[in-house]
Amino acid sequence: MGIIIAVISGKGGVGKTTTTANLGLGIALNDKKCVVVDFDIGQRNLDMILGLENRVVFDMVQVMDGEANMKQALIKSKMSPNLQFLAASQTKDKSVLDSQKIHKLVTDLSAEFDYVILDAPAGIESGYEHTIEFADRAIVVVNPEVSSIRDADRAIGILDSKSQKVKDGSEVMKYLIINRINPKMVQSGEMLASEDILDILNVPLIGKIPEDKGIIDASNQGKPIILDTNSAAGKAYARIAARLCGQEVPLENVEEPESGLMQKIKEMFV
Amino acid sequence: MLTKQYSVKVFEVTLEDENEFIAFFDKNYVMFTNHLISIYGDVSTKIDKYLQEKNLKYIVNTQLPKKRASKNTLKLQEVEEEKKEVPEKEIKKPVEKIQDNLKVIDKLVRSGQELKIRGDLLLLNRVNSGGSIVIEGNLIITQIVEGDIRCNGNFMMLQASHKANIVFHEVEVDNKYLQDKLNRVELINNEIRITPVLKETKWA
Repeated sequence: MGIIIAVISGKGGVGKTTTTANLGLGIALNDKKCVVVDFDIGQRNLDMILGLENRVVFDMVQVMDGEANMKQALIKSKMSPNLQFLAASQTKDKSVLDSQKIHKLVTDLSAEFDYVILDAPAGIESGYEHTIEFADRAIVVVNPEVSSIRDADRAIGILDSKSQKVKDGSEVMKYLIINRINPKMVQSGEMLASEDILDILNVPLIGKIPEDKGIIDASNQGKPIILDTNSAAGKAYARIAARLCGQEVPLENVEEPESGLMQKIKEMFV
Repeated sequence: MLTKQYSVKVFEVTLEDENEFIAFFDKNYVMFTNHLISIYGDVSTKIDKYLQEKNLKYIVNTQLPKKRASKNTLKLQEVEEEKKEVPEKEIKKPVEKIQDNLKVIDKLVRSGQELKIRGDLLLLNRVNSGGSIVIEGNLIITQIVEGDIRCNGNFMMLQASHKANIVFHEVEVDNKYLQDKLNRVELINNEIRITPVLKETKWA
């Protein structure tokens, strides 16, 4: 049985889908079979970020309703043979989701894949509750600013009360990713420091991702930034993916601005 | 003849500076909509008009009995509004007050979560922004409070950040007195008194 991981944030626009795409690909590049599922019914985005928008024929709602079988709906990624993708329905809305069908879907997926990554919708409504319902673990994505932290806090509270694992008396393991860290702003005190965020949320940190202009271009082109081994964000995602695969990779301090010769050369051109 | 007996909540206030008075009621009058306001001082037409606009009933310079008057033996019909009496005895030490089903909780109170407690509570964790505690008894929180607290106990001990919203016996406590250190908030002679417990508290 594979591990079912929900990627959650509460607030929208903090980088859930980008994180899902990059970690899915990162896990696949670590030779594990991985499937990423877009649970944002009615507002699918993950297909674009993975560069698979023109390949979607069937979506997960059709699979759940028996209109298509799993094999037909799963889309193989061009970037790694280990990575597959299941699209959200763009036409239906989240009211079509039903616990029993979701349970069957994620159980079927976890029988075939080592990692099943579910991209949760923003907000804390039924779509979100269904995403976390059968998750074994959760990755909480936050930005270092107060509204993102409070919304994530709320989402964690719901996770801790409504997921099936909790109802069965166990616990959903949670990991925190702090995304879009701007080293200069953290140092000048304009952004929340990581230690403060960890104090508030009380969730172990699995990685920090610096703000990277390359992410927008990567999303637009459908090539997750993890493929760019020179980018700071890509390297950060690669480290997190390795940690999720059980490797011991030390945490790096992305808050420290680059220094040394390369920085000086860069500054000369700015 | 029909007589009734009521217990009403009275809010006593001295009127010295009219602007200060109006500013206070502008901020807090919602809490006193069911109270009778007992004013000591001279009520000008301005204040009278102001209180009428706010729909607040008041009495002026009336000495109210501080103890419950002995009940009339001829009870024809009695309607008693059961509300918690504000303790009049001075509290010297919190421990002197009887413990009331003390609960000890070591759980983060996250945004959107609400703890409703009838007795006393010792919370060994944080109250995050958006989380809330409503408690009838005494309250001690060992970590920082950034959420909402409504406490009606004899005392509470906590440290709050500027984000917190602390209401003690239906009066909002100014956060600036609660920051940076653990503070004891208690009701002494109908006055809210805030004293820092120590300059710096370390629980570890």
